[in-house]
Amino acid sequence: MVRKLSKKRLASRRASILMVGIATTVVGWCGVSSSVVDASASSIPTVNWWGWTPVTGLAALDIAAFNKVYPNIKVVYKNFPDANYTAALRPALLSGVGPDVFDVATGGQVGAFSEFVPYAINLTPAMVKLRGSNWATGMYAPGIADFSLDGQLRVVPVGRVAAGFMWINLGLFNKYKLTPPTTLAQWVSVCKTFRANGVGSCFREGVGSPGFDVDTIHSIVNSVEPGAFNEALSGTIKWTNPAIVKGLAIFKELSTDGILDPGADGFEQYPDVNNAFLAGKVPMVQMGTWYQQNTEVSYLRANVEGAGASANSKLPTFVPIPFPNVGGHSVALFGDPDYGFAVSTNSKVKTAATEFALFLSSTKAGQLRVADNFDEYPVLTTLSPDFSALPLVVPSLQAPDLYKLAALVNQVTETRNAQITSVMDTGIITADQSVIDGQATPAQAAATLQQTQATSPYVK
Amino acid sequence: MLERTGQAQRRARARRKGVGQSKSSGLLWIAPALIVSVGLIYYCIGYTGIISTWNWDGVSPTHQSVGFGNFRQLWADPVFWGTLRHTLLYFVIVLVMEVLLGMVFAALLHSKVWLGAVYKVIIFLPVVLAPATMAPVFRSVFAPAGQFNEALRFFGLGALQRSWLAQPGTALGVIIAIGIWQSTGVSFILYFAAMGQIDGEIIEAARLDGAGNIRMFRNIIWPSVRGTTAALSVLTAIASLKLFDIPYLVTSGGPDFGTEFLGTFIYRVSIPQAQVGYGAALSIVLLVLAVTVAMVLTLGFRLRHRSE
Repeated sequence: MVRKLSKKRLASRRASILMVGIATTVVGWCGVSSSVVDASASSIPTVNWWGWTPVTGLAALDIAAFNKVYPNIKVVYKNFPDANYTAALRPALLSGVGPDVFDVATGGQVGAFSEFVPYAINLTPAMVKLRGSNWATGMYAPGIADFSLDGQLRVVPVGRVAAGFMWINLGLFNKYKLTPPTTLAQWVSVCKTFRANGVGSCFREGVGSPGFDVDTIHSIVNSVEPGAFNEALSGTIKWTNPAIVKGLAIFKELSTDGILDPGADGFEQYPDVNNAFLAGKVPMVQMGTWYQQNTEVSYLRANVEGAGASANSKLPTFVPIPFPNVGGHSVALFGDPDYGFAVSTNSKVKTAATEFALFLSSTKAGQLRVADNFDEYPVLTTLSPDFSALPLVVPSLQAPDLYKLAALVNQVTETRNAQITSVMDTGIITADQSVIDGQATPAQAAATLQQTQATSPYVK
Repeated sequence: MLERTGQAQRRARARRKGVGQSKSSGLLWIAPALIVSVGLIYYCIGYTGIISTWNWDGVSPTHQSVGFGNFRQLWADPVFWGTLRHTLLYFVIVLVMEVLLGMVFAALLHSKVWLGAVYKVIIFLPVVLAPATMAPVFRSVFAPAGQFNEALRFFGLGALQRSWLAQPGTALGVIIAIGIWQSTGVSFILYFAAMGQIDGEIIEAARLDGAGNIRMFRNIIWPSVRGTTAALSVLTAIASLKLFDIPYLVTSGGPDFGTEFLGTFIYRVSIPQAQVGYGAALSIVLLVLAVTVAMVLTLGFRLRHRSE
């Protein structure tokens, strides 16, 4: 009996093994057939695009616009937070794989051109093929210059941004019958009124955040002596120049005269300052053109929700104003390409990757798509955002200022980040912090900056 | 049958004596760990040592050899010395507080406390909470209009209100406080377990001999948990040297490098500043410090134990 049962079990096991074998074979053949299908599908090249900007939702719209013209190229986008982008891209490129197209910035700490240019192919021949021998005509000239090396266009600029002005919450200004300040004295007075009325804030800034705080000191120094900030960066003048020292002293005054909100050294521009401004708690911030998306209803509503405020709350009305004349001169805007596309030397689909990079950066269809994103300006200078077509929060109040801003952006001649190395970026932030928290006088902080620039032998 | 039994007994004796087992089979067992250790960890350490002699941005196909230039730069870098000061301060304060609080909580919970299990969970909870989750909470708590300042005002201590994260000194205090909050759970668990090992009869005998609480603690409990304290010292020293998440997430090492630790400094120079050679030199210094401190502390406790 036992032996019979064992035989039955054995037979059953054999049958099971046979079934599994058959099933495996069938599945295996299916796998083979599906891999055959994949192989034919893989004739459509896949372009892997890495970037810190745009956000994934906007990138999907960019890719959709590209696929209308190039349906046979698949683009896959991977978005990284600013702080992680360089750390992810560096080993990816070094390992010989990584993305086919990647975002590059002119300078600073995120995807700097000087760092990643060895992995960017020369795009000049492709540009000549697309736009002719005068390909640079009608394109944002500083962007072309920033992204060229030895006469070769290594990165194509996609969008451009500018800073050197401020954004105000018009509702708060109107509530207390205030007009935007144009001088330091007016700024002090405006802030006194806000604080006296219990607003609890006036001008908020995250002094520890790369980029934003540098824009503020850049504006202040340029108000003291136009162009002095970038002259110090390029070494034309020393950081100990009186214009820089006075600029740092004025920065200190923003803190001591009640303009800058207390705790600035401990705030981050994103999320702290951004969220407070979007929630309507802060009257003034220093942000660049990328912030104009917060004048448009759908973007603003999404951003307000992202900032933790109720989606049903009344949307604030933000308008750009010139940076106050705090040092004797009005402040001109400064700007850069926001980002550009590099095609990786490691890419196995260079042609397709180049088609994508050039479509978004250098064709009318691609640049109109960039303009529609509304967070940056197109690099084809004949195109600009059409504010009349957008649902602004209060069009009659915002549109005129946005058109004025657009005109100023087109006049930009001074660079924003292109000359700033990551070490100097940290150095400038540290100088501002040490002046505000009393660890150094403006003259001492300026001397430290000069030392940082002069004695960093291992800095690119 | 008998013969087969005899063979089995001989094989068993041989196994017990290790006869018939080749040395290579032992090597086979440790091979995976050996390959991982030597192939990954020690290779990486060696490679980091090589990079520390380069001026390299971490991505360029070429590099420039600078010998000990990065170490000379490090020696002259005030931020580096600042990180060592912050690390030392963090280590001393966190260790003292975690030992003190861990021991007190462990002693209290060894007595029959109502809802003791709940207290254990509450004390241990900070250990399992992810720093990335807690960092925004701490930024909010210590913001100028945050709950900590509100609490001070509520208790009539409004004069102490300040921007806690905006001044280097107070920001470092916040980081240390978070460190204590985070690590006390581990010290509590270790002391709780160590105190559980103490023979109840010894304590009973001491009580019968008229020993008070302080005498009991000094002569019985403290010597019994000395090994735990030694382990905690080494763990805290290494954790202090490796500290990264909380200062990076709460203060980004600022303001004015006021909360910069070796870990955040290595990240700052290696990643955003692209000075990978300099970052590697800092990493080598960190490794040497960690090994030295661990050895010194362990040897110190061992020698003291022997002398007693």
